[in-house]
Order: sequence, then structure tokens, then C-alpha cells
Amino acid sequence: MTALQDKETAVSTSATLSLNLIQAINLAMREEMRLDERVVLFGEDVGARGGVFLATEGLQAEFGRRRVFDTPLSEASIVGAAVGMAVRGLRPIAEIQFADYMGPGFDQIVSQAAKIRYRSGGQFTAPLVIRTPSGGGVRGGHHHSQSPEAYYAHTPGLKVVMPSTPYDAKGLLKAAVRSDDPVIFFEPKRIYRAFKEDVPEGDYVVELGRAAVRREGADLTIVGYGGVMPDALKVADALKAEGVSVEVVDLRSIVPWDRETVLNSVAKTGRALLVSEAPRTANFMGEVAYTIQEELFDALLAPVSQVAGFDTPYPYAQDKVYLPGPNRMLRAAAKLLGY
Amino acid sequence: MHKPFTDKPIQRIGEDGRKIGRWTLDLTEDQLRTMHRDMVRARVFDEKLVTILRQGKTSFYAQSSGMEGTQVGLAHAVRPGHDWIWPYYRDQGLAIGLGVSVRDLLAQCLGTSEDLCRARQMPHHFGVRNYNFVSISSSIANQVAPATGTAMAQQYLGTDEITVCTFGDGATSEGDWHAGLNMAGVAKAPIMFVCENNQWAISVDFKGQTASTNIAVKAHAYGMPGYYVDGNDVLAVHSVVSEVAERMRAGEGPALVECLTYRIGSHSNADADAEKQYRSREEVELWRSRDPITRFERFLAAEGLSVDAAAIRAAAQREVEDAITATEATGTPGWDVMFEDVYEDVPAHIALQREYVRAEQEA
Ligand SMILES: Cc1ncc(C[n+]2csc(CCOP(=O)(O)OP(=O)(O)O)c2C)c(N)n1
Ligand SMILES: [Mg+2]
Repeated sequence: MTALQDKETAVSTSATLSLNLIQAINLAMREEMRLDERVVLFGEDVGARGGVFLATEGLQAEFGRRRVFDTPLSEASIVGAAVGMAVRGLRPIAEIQFADYMGPGFDQIVSQAAKIRYRSGGQFTAPLVIRTPSGGGVRGGHHHSQSPEAYYAHTPGLKVVMPSTPYDAKGLLKAAVRSDDPVIFFEPKRIYRAFKEDVPEGDYVVELGRAAVRREGADLTIVGYGGVMPDALKVADALKAEGVSVEVVDLRSIVPWDRETVLNSVAKTGRALLVSEAPRTANFMGEVAYTIQEELFDALLAPVSQVAGFDTPYPYAQDKVYLPGPNRMLRAAAKLLGY
Repeated sequence: MHKPFTDKPIQRIGEDGRKIGRWTLDLTEDQLRTMHRDMVRARVFDEKLVTILRQGKTSFYAQSSGMEGTQVGLAHAVRPGHDWIWPYYRDQGLAIGLGVSVRDLLAQCLGTSEDLCRARQMPHHFGVRNYNFVSISSSIANQVAPATGTAMAQQYLGTDEITVCTFGDGATSEGDWHAGLNMAGVAKAPIMFVCENNQWAISVDFKGQTASTNIAVKAHAYGMPGYYVDGNDVLAVHSVVSEVAERMRAGEGPALVECLTYRIGSHSNADADAEKQYRSREEVELWRSRDPITRFERFLAAEGLSVDAAAIRAAAQREVEDAITATEATGTPGWDVMFEDVYEDVPAHIALQREYVRAEQEA
């Protein structure tokens, strides 16, 4: 581990930029590529096209086709090649156009990337990053809206990350590139351009495995990650106006997840609402809920509650009903506060 | 007999509409007229869909303009509702050519109450059981191995059906594409793999996709013939596909047919503005001038068969407009269809979720 990964480092440079999430991702890659020749970037349409969401815009122009290139249309080749490059000393960033299309690369992810360190006794490692847009809210139907993070969280050997702010997106992606383990970096596409915030123009990382407390509060803890976070914050603000103090924890990393921050928060508030948009069954939040009840049984004032996606494929026309918005979170919060 | 593995695409008519080589037309005047009309209907369908997309009536569309020779030629060479089709998302011309009603297609694009797919699927991803036109999956090339399976079932059941599986040039890079062809070769299943090579996969050109000289040659590796066809020549496509289908029905096993064509429009509406970053206007204009419909009209004229192109266009426009009005009038399905068809029945955990939303909706 580098010193940079040990803690969030304050930055020496004074310049800040006002960026949205996808611009922050672009900047993170640009900086890492400038810093480290071993970083290469590839995937479908990431070159001249700049990626279908424009996450890689301008990168081929700056770094050339040797370091930023389009691949044939094959996720197995993209992930498999990333594994092989990583084993041979490169730091590949592989873009999968949509998380929904990780399928053809699944075996490479779970059998090669995830296990090569373990099965070789640490002789071989695959320090790669798979970046991919995930989640709903863009009217994309089931093949452009899914939240498959639980599949990967369930596979030991992979780190799984999902930012919800531009600052974190940049810092987490840089940490992911520097990580010696394979990182699945989910990008919540519906908030790619939702808002801007100040992002330092220089080098900093956000350590993998650390949650962020977005709002401090005493009565209820909302835990979430990724695309649902803006709604979670809205809920906290709405409840504050009613005199309820809500603590909001953004996991940022799903594996490893920050037990300490979550448990400290729920120990204080006694109430936990876990929000995500992935289907409810075998949702990663089930693990968080399990841990909370096991560790904090005596401190709980109400059952641990979840707001999640439903156990159906992501529907097209019923998209708005499917996604857990602020109203659903508010009702769940009210119920918890009523205990 | 058409030859596999030719260096140049197989053609029947030139750009000028004149016959190439010596062959006799085995299509009736009526068949020729229907073929032409279906090509125009497919083109008009594209134009209208782009318009209603701008109006916000639908959210996704991928034009097949420029590819009508391939899609209609193919459609008219198989037996609709008898043979099975595992299509891909850009196959509206194939659906129209098979006889699927424009209203069924529009119901899906608009997600109305009569949408056969119940508004669950992204627009422009059809599935029509009575035409054995299997539900389209967005995930590139994952229809290929299932199509092989359908053909193996046809073989097992002793039917005289065949299976047609379509895909783009980009799809041929996926591992599943190779897996599907390999298995079909081993099983000698009655399946025709049809590559609609429009020379681009979003922003990646053919050379970025494969180092092979063309797609047809890949058939060598799987022990089946590969035909390289001019996909803008509707008669060439029809002739090759008919002949291959006939042999397949006689038990000769699978084949790969590559139709070389071009995507005149943007990849999809999501790509409309980005297109200029990766391909030149000159290239698009060159291929626009090789329009498969114009070429076929030249042929019909040379054969002394006059078509009233304007009247056919107008009728096609009315057909689409009427279908839009009619399907819109059926309204949109309720929120609760979301919870059906996940399984055969609605299991308890999903029923609970449905009740939860019902309470929300009724509050
Ligand atoms: C498995 C998978 N990966 C990526 C995509 C995103 N995608 C949609 S269309 C497309 C290009 C397809 O090109 P081609 O097969 O040539 O068909 P065309 O669109 O040109 O008709 C890509 C990469 C996808 N749908 N599925
Ligand atoms: Mg193509």
C-alpha cells in the first residue's frame, strides 16, 4: 500500500474545479495516466467516440491509441485481456459499456481476476479496474438499468466500489487504479451529470473500504450507496425540517464495507434504514442488516429496515414505480421513528 | 448453385439495376412487388419512428435504413410463422417483411396496453410468438447459442423447420457467437446464421472488429459453408438464402450468410450527435447513393415492371400513422404488470411487494 492509500490526503495544489461525477471520473483517469505509464484504458467505443457516456472523452487524443483503444465487441476479451496485462505488470482500466453487459466477461471476472492471487499463493495478482455504468433511472429497460453489485460482492477477491459524488468518484477511482487487487468500479449513471461540486485538481485518493458520513444526526441512520444517495439526502433534509435528526452514511465501498462507521452510527441512533436500488432478495444490504442486528441487538429501537428494488427484472414502462425514490424512503423512516 | 467463400460479394443486380451474370428470375410479379413494398414500408417505418422519437412518444430507436435489401430479402426467403427467427434489435425490416403487423411493432415501441411484451422491454425490442420471432435481447450475440438450440430441437423433433439467427458485424467478436456456431457445426443443426454486416459497431469499424477479410470466411473454422453476399442487392440475398434454406431442409446442416450492407442512420438516437467523431459524411453519402431500394426500383423498371413509388410511400405512411393512433387509443398498462411473468405464478415474496406498491398507489 502506498502512503496515498492509507488516508485521504489533503492536496497541495490550490486549484479546484467544479465537476460533475462523469467529469471527475474522466479527470481521475487522465491524472493516473499522466502519473503512471503502466495505466492503459480500453473497452468498446472508448477511443474516438469517448465512450457512450463520454467518460473517456479526450483521453485517446491525449495519450494516443497505444494507451487508449477500442476493442472488438467482446467483454470476455476485454476483461480477460485486462487480467493478462495486469499479471504482466500493467494497470489496466477496462470499461464495460453497461454493467448489464458484464455477463460475457463474468467468468473472467469471477474465475480469473478474483481468484488468481489466492490460487497462486500470492505469486500472481491482477491489479485491474473494471469501470462500468450501472443502475436505473435512464429509461433503459432491463438491459441498461440493472444493479448487479451483489454478484460481485459475493465473490471473494474482488473489491467493489460505487461513488455518489464527484469528489469521491475521482478519489476512489484513483485509489482503485493503485489498488493491488481487482476493483469493480460501478458508476451510478443516473447521477453522472446530476450535480457539480468542487473537486481538487491535484492528486488525492479516497481510501477504499471507508464510508462517508454525509449528514450527522441522532434519531435515525440511513445507509446507502451510489444512485440513491441524492434522494437519501433529500429525505434527511425533509425530516430535519420536521425536527428529526438523520445521520446519512454513504458506504462508497461495498467490499470491503465500513462496518465501524455504520455500527457507530446505528449505536448512536438506534434506528437503521438501508437504501439501495438493487432487487431486494440477496441484496448486499442484507449483509449490513445482519451485521447490525448481530452487533447492536440491545441498542436497536426499531427493526432494521430496507428500501430496495423489487424482485422483478428492471421494467421499462414502470421504471418510476420500480425505483425507490424519496417518498418510499420517507414512509419507511416514519415507520421506524414510530416504534 | 451459389458458391461459398467467394472473394467478392455475390450479386444479382448492379447499381444500375441491370442483371449481373446469367440467371433466370424465379419470382412472380406479385412477389417482386411485395418485396419492393416491404422495403419501402421498412424505410417509412424508420422515418416515422425518428419523428415520434423527437416528439417524445418513444425513447429509443435504431434505424435499419440502408439495410432493407438484407432484411426484406431474408424475410421473403423463409416461411413466416413456420421457420424460427432469433433476431437482433435492428431487425424491423425483417419483421415487416415476415408480415408482423406494423401495429404490433408500434405497440411495443410505444409500450401501449396491446404491446405483446407488456411494456417491460426497452422500445424497439420486439418478440412476436405467432411469427416465431423470438423476443430480442439487447445483449449482443447472446441469441446465437440459443438459436443453435432451437435448431437442435427442430432436428430432434423431426420438423422441416429451420432456424435463422441474425446479428451485426460487431456481434461476431463475442465468445458466444463462436460457441454457437461451433456447436451448430458439430450438431449439423438446420440453422442459418445471417450477419448483417453494416460495417460499423457503434464507433468501431470492421477492421477494429476482426482481422479476417470478411465474416463469411469464419464459417470455414466451424465446418460450414460461408456465403459472402451483397446485402444491398435484395435479389442476391433472397436467392442465396432461399437456396441455403432449401438445402438445410434437406438435412445439409448449418451455414453462415454474410450480407454486406451499411447503416445509413446513426447507431441509435443516443448516438446521433456523436457519429461525426468516428465516420465521415463522405462515407455515409457514398453508401446513401447505393440505396438498396433505388437499385431494386431500377431493376424493376428494366424488367418493364412499373411501381408507383410515391403512392406506395404514401400508403406506408398512412399505415404507420393509423397504427400509432390505434395503438395509442388502447392506453398504457397499469403498474401492476411489473410483477407478473417473473415466474409462472407470483411467488409470495413478490406478491408482498405488489401489495406494498398497491398501498402506495391507493394512498
Ligand atoms: C454484450 C453487449 N455488449 C455491449 C453492448 C452495447 N452495444 C449495443 S449495440 C453495440 C454495437 C453492435 O454492433 P453490431 O453487432 O455491428 O450491430 P449494429 O448495431 O451495427 O447493427 C454495442 C457495443 C451490448 N448491447 N451488449
Ligand atoms: Mg454493425
